[in-house]
Amino acid sequence: MWKTIVRRFLIMIPQLFVLSVIIFVLAKFMPGDPFTGLITPQTDPARIAELTEKAGLNDPVHMQYLRWMGNAFQGDFGLSYTYKRDVGALIGERALNTFWLSLLSVILLYALAIPLGILAGRYQNSRLDKTIVLYSFVTYAIPTFVLALVFLFLFGYQLRWFPTSGSVDIKTQVGTLGYYWDRFYHILLPSITYAILGTTGIIQYLRSEIIDAKSMDYVRTARSKGIPMRKVYSKHIFRNSLLPIAAFLGFTITGLLGGSIFIETIFGYPGMGQLFVSSISSRDYSVITALVMLFGFLALLGSLLSDIIMSIVDPRIRIE
Amino acid sequence: MKKSKWLLFAALFSLLLVLAACSGKEDGTATEEPADTDTEEQAEGAEETTEDSSELFEVSVTNEGEAIEGGILQVGMVKDEPFQGIFNWELYEDAYDSELMSWTSNALFETDGDFMLTDEGIASLDVDQENNKATVKIREGVKWSDGTPLTIEDVILPYHIIGHKDYTGVRYDTQFQNIIGAEEYHAGTAETISGLKKIDDLTLEISFKQLSPSIFYGGDGLWTYAAPVHQVGDIPVAELIESDAVRKNPITLGAFKIDKIVPGESVSYVKNEHYWKGEPKLDGVVVKVVPSSSVSVAIASGDYDLVTSFNATKMEEIQDLENINILGRPELYYSYVGFKVGKFDTTQNKVVTDMENSKMGSQELRQAMGFALDIEQVSEVFYNNLRERANSLIPPVFESFYDGELNGYTYDPEKAEALLDEAGFVDVDGDGIREDQNGEKLEIKLAAMSGDATQEEIIAFYLQNWADVGLNVVLSTGRLIEFNAFYDMVQADDPEIDMFMGAWGTGTNPSPSGLYGEADQYNFSRYTSDVLQSAVVAIDSPESFDTDFRAEQFKIFQEHLEEVATTIPMQFRYEIFPVNKRVKNYNIDYADATEIHEIELVADKPVAN
Repeated sequence: MWKTIVRRFLIMIPQLFVLSVIIFVLAKFMPGDPFTGLITPQTDPARIAELTEKAGLNDPVHMQYLRWMGNAFQGDFGLSYTYKRDVGALIGERALNTFWLSLLSVILLYALAIPLGILAGRYQNSRLDKTIVLYSFVTYAIPTFVLALVFLFLFGYQLRWFPTSGSVDIKTQVGTLGYYWDRFYHILLPSITYAILGTTGIIQYLRSEIIDAKSMDYVRTARSKGIPMRKVYSKHIFRNSLLPIAAFLGFTITGLLGGSIFIETIFGYPGMGQLFVSSISSRDYSVITALVMLFGFLALLGSLLSDIIMSIVDPRIRIE
Repeated sequence: MKKSKWLLFAALFSLLLVLAACSGKEDGTATEEPADTDTEEQAEGAEETTEDSSELFEVSVTNEGEAIEGGILQVGMVKDEPFQGIFNWELYEDAYDSELMSWTSNALFETDGDFMLTDEGIASLDVDQENNKATVKIREGVKWSDGTPLTIEDVILPYHIIGHKDYTGVRYDTQFQNIIGAEEYHAGTAETISGLKKIDDLTLEISFKQLSPSIFYGGDGLWTYAAPVHQVGDIPVAELIESDAVRKNPITLGAFKIDKIVPGESVSYVKNEHYWKGEPKLDGVVVKVVPSSSVSVAIASGDYDLVTSFNATKMEEIQDLENINILGRPELYYSYVGFKVGKFDTTQNKVVTDMENSKMGSQELRQAMGFALDIEQVSEVFYNNLRERANSLIPPVFESFYDGELNGYTYDPEKAEALLDEAGFVDVDGDGIREDQNGEKLEIKLAAMSGDATQEEIIAFYLQNWADVGLNVVLSTGRLIEFNAFYDMVQADDPEIDMFMGAWGTGTNPSPSGLYGEADQYNFSRYTSDVLQSAVVAIDSPESFDTDFRAEQFKIFQEHLEEVATTIPMQFRYEIFPVNKRVKNYNIDYADATEIHEIELVADKPVAN
């Protein structure tokens, strides 16, 4: 298995290389450049030309690519054109924000979806099941921004249960307990919103797996041995039904850094999703390429993780 | 950005936003604290401004009640992304950073209602036109927020930052090169800028190659901010932008100083006890980024005392609220429709006008297209009159130069048709669409920027306006164009473009140079003529130190472009400021804005609706 993992990592190198070429070239194909947005009637075209030249944007694309590659190998992804900061530090800051938000979202998501899925599967066709299925269809149909806005207005502004924007209140002292509590408090409402909207897939998978498992031979065997129904569910059916969910776990883990543009924009939370979208519209090449490379790497890593997880939870699967 | 700043109507022209806001804010900071003007003439001007804007909005508000001791002003800054956080006047790029810095300010000068520098600020300016020299003299006793006295070295430092070869901002430009020795310093052949001469601890003499009236607006290379030598003097210019002195704890001159920053989200300020005009009445200010999707509810909930960069299209959501007053003022902005009548010759760096061979070469055709547009209806229906038909390429805020008597192209389809008939654009094949003067099919390609759904409707409406007078106008590329692509195409004189709709934020210097001169790349319609060029040059010439002469040249410029109609002004717009009833006094008049150290509150918390 270790061999396989090492091999998978080695394969990633050409994959990421191809990705980097594609994204680099495509980014340059976009009209405009990072300086287009700076133009005002007072801006001197000669100065813009000078800055463009200095930034090396007039060089042939392959030259720019090689230069970028050389620096990237040394861990230097350049300066963001928009934020004028080291891309690594900028992404790091946003990634941390996004990581905590996503982590809480995913915890809440599983905490909500797994029990609902189990209940729906176990009590198939009951009123409870129908309610859960209806719930999952409704949340599936609601656009993220609609629910986010409704929750924000209701729980944020009307009831005042949650803060309405940002990642932390500026009044709190960094490093104190109050600061960490406040950060947690700020991500709670966005996380709940995200969790409620994301449940459909898990509920549906779990429900149908459980319904299938109920008629399986091993369940009948367990029952015939006199094992109580409760135990059959918790020991036998549950573990098997989680397989499809485990299959996505790797992607879920690496997806923690992806961020959600809607949630971030509506809750005014500086995260990765926003950074990605805004870097594209402002032609912030260094940020675009670094982010795409990061997301690409995470996707590959996620699929590897998923395979590893599957081999652990399902002994029938062996990575060769 | 802060320049981007860049911001009111997200819907229309998303780039314009950027453009307009940038420039608007860039110089706008200077308007934060204008002083009362001395002369009678200027004072009258100020009153007129008030009347003009009050046609739609109040520019100032006074709320009843006894002022509380201190208090924290809560400010919401509408923005859907984190702010950049470059707190340095030499380096910042977008309007939002400029807005954040306006509370701390390092401005040396104050400005009057015409945006001209006055002697009321920290520094005074004395211009010697004969010898192309200007003398900047700072007040004695002014201190930085850490208590260190301001010296003339602090005034000189910014020039050496901007002029430095490692400086990466846009401000090292031809204007800056107007300072004698700036180019040598930039090239690295001189240690300092030779045109800067320290006279004594409070006085700096600057020598320029050629002065123009722009210097009175802070142009010509004059820099109007100070930088603290004792904080940033030893930081290499290349490292400055990432330093804590710029990102975290800048030392400043204004009424407040930065206390804490949550990157991208909020900034809290405390009062600057060393402020030269006296201790501010507030204890502090907190500015927080508010997403545009929830700003109206936040205002209603009483979360903020002031809201800046409020999107005027959301006016309806807040206009009936009782916990706020809505102030408004005309913006330094105009939108326009331009016609391509030539090319830009990049080898000779000049505009080459070619009316003969341009599809839009007929003056009657261009004029007719202007008369055919029902901009009045668009302003009313889509913008709730927060925009109005523009009659000139100079926004009316610039009272001394704006020509109020211009008719502009008010909606008049009959006149449009008459002009077209007269010029020979008639429908010869009977399909309801006019052919060109030679009887050939005429298809005019319009480039317009993409925005929100409203933008699509508006452009469709304009196309219909033209169809109503028999003109076949289609969209270049078949759809609205994303802003980066739009400017790329317009600037490259793409053959897909016969005409285009854009906008400019003018900044506080109304001079048309840069946009309408014969060597200007941003002269997008590529029109130049002797009359136009002589007016553009004259406006910034030494003769124009005589304001009457300058005004006359502005008049010639506006009238000439109105007549040839290569660029037809479309709309002016208003910016609006919701102010909570907790704020005792607030005034946004360019000529008479509230001084921030005098803001007071009348309650412990903002009033909720």
